[in-house]
Amino acid sequence: MIQRIASIARHTLKESVRERVLYNLVVFALLMFGAAILVGSISVGIEHIIIVNLGLSSISVFGLLMAIFIGITLVWKEIDKRTIFSILAKPVRRWEFILGKYAGLMLTLMINTAVMTVGFYLALFYAKGSLETGDLIVLQAIYFILLQLALVVGLALFFSCTSTPVLSAVFTFCLFVIGNLLGDIRWFGEETGSALVMSFTSVLYYALPNFGNFNVISQTAHGQPVAGYLIWSNTLYVLLYLTLILSASILVFEKREFK
Amino acid sequence: MGDSTRTIRASCVLILGMSFLAIVPAQQRIDQAFSTQGNSGEFLYLPEGTSLRRLCLGHEGLLADIYWTRAVQYFGRKRIDQSPQFDLLGPLLRITTDLDPHLLIAYRFGAIFLAERPPRGAGKPHEALQLLRKGIVANPGYWRLWHDLGFIYYWDLKDYEAAARVYRAGSERPGAQQWMKVMAAAVATEGGAYNTSRLLWAQIYREAENEQIRRNAEEHLAAFKAQNDLGQLNLLLGDFVRREGRPASSWRDLTALGMLREVPRDPSGSPYRVGRDARAQLGPESKVDLKLLQ
Repeated sequence: MIQRIASIARHTLKESVRERVLYNLVVFALLMFGAAILVGSISVGIEHIIIVNLGLSSISVFGLLMAIFIGITLVWKEIDKRTIFSILAKPVRRWEFILGKYAGLMLTLMINTAVMTVGFYLALFYAKGSLETGDLIVLQAIYFILLQLALVVGLALFFSCTSTPVLSAVFTFCLFVIGNLLGDIRWFGEETGSALVMSFTSVLYYALPNFGNFNVISQTAHGQPVAGYLIWSNTLYVLLYLTLILSASILVFEKREFK
Repeated sequence: MGDSTRTIRASCVLILGMSFLAIVPAQQRIDQAFSTQGNSGEFLYLPEGTSLRRLCLGHEGLLADIYWTRAVQYFGRKRIDQSPQFDLLGPLLRITTDLDPHLLIAYRFGAIFLAERPPRGAGKPHEALQLLRKGIVANPGYWRLWHDLGFIYYWDLKDYEAAARVYRAGSERPGAQQWMKVMAAAVATEGGAYNTSRLLWAQIYREAENEQIRRNAEEHLAAFKAQNDLGQLNLLLGDFVRREGRPASSWRDLTALGMLREVPRDPSGSPYRVGRDARAQLGPESKVDLKLLQ
């Protein structure tokens, strides 16, 4: 079972590399070094902070774009090109296929993030002239970005099993935006004073993925570490939510008929 | 490749190049049209930092950096233009600190230049106090903001009682350095005195975390030094009158009598001069600005 999932994951990774999705790394490198050189000359006192903010935001945005635009075609492409028939004709179960696809894209994103992290530290070293142990705090934010991407890939994969790529992209992106505003949505509900609206916004708050949980970029840019309990509880949250989304994806995919 | 294909490709490259070149004058014309419509005044597209924060989707730190850079550029441009109007400085700093309440440089740098009199700053000490109080609430562990707050009460508002109170409160913050207590005592007993003011600027200089704040403090310290030098030189010129029964026409008169070893120079390296009123003055090439002390 593990072997089959790993084989699909490997194939997905190879496919992503073949499609040159890792080209974004070049843009990232240019952005980081450009910022490191430029910012020092046009701003005051934020040379280090802006490199951290820009680096982490770039890692997050590039990762998000990859997660959405590759994630939405993961299953759809196999169906569209009818390669799904040859895959499922082999001794591969449908749920193994879904988990393999998910693992493959996550692997791609992890490699991408790891390379960008190295690029980020190089830029930081270039700007500061040295690296300190305090700079390792940034890794906490990168871990949170990966958690966020894990959820986005899960959502994109789910929609890829149920809808067309364009609609999947729209749905995933909308959920990402709403997921970032859930705290405000619940607050608006409380402000109305209506029990019905409050219940509705509370249901939304717990049912939709809360991407606001992972926003620690600004905090780490100021060298403030993320509390340990937040790291563990967010990890648990993502594991639970992923179990939910992947189960739903498998459920939909198991029932799907291919013509 | 056939001749016709080659011709089409060459034409495309030519058209592409010409179009690109034509864009430059077109844009210049548009810019000209906008400039002849007159300056519609300074405005911010998004005046609420708290709303902006919600729209950032977790990237508010980066946006705060962009707004901070915009504030620095705005301030720099106004200083170069010698403009007395810094209308956007306060709002830009407010948005920056709404987006990132922990961006300490925005409070420290922003407050000093909001408070300074035009054309060196916006001349809005009360806005500066507001900004620093906001910073203290968001960063209760950072005692240096109390020093900046006390300084604005002292230097810009000449409210020595409030300044002493702030320095005392700041000195009680965890981690506050001993000199905060010294400042509190000095301001309370000798508010407005030359030595106290000099001490405060010297502390700003020592504490400065960036070049612009350091340079500003340095200019003030140079003005203090020059003011002190002028006082001493005028005493010497008075002695000369008493000894020789006539006013000195230049420093040579004093060096000839051994009252001075050489022509005295101000902190910018420019020689002082003896004025027509026989009083010591800054030289015409001096970079020291005594108006800073007014």
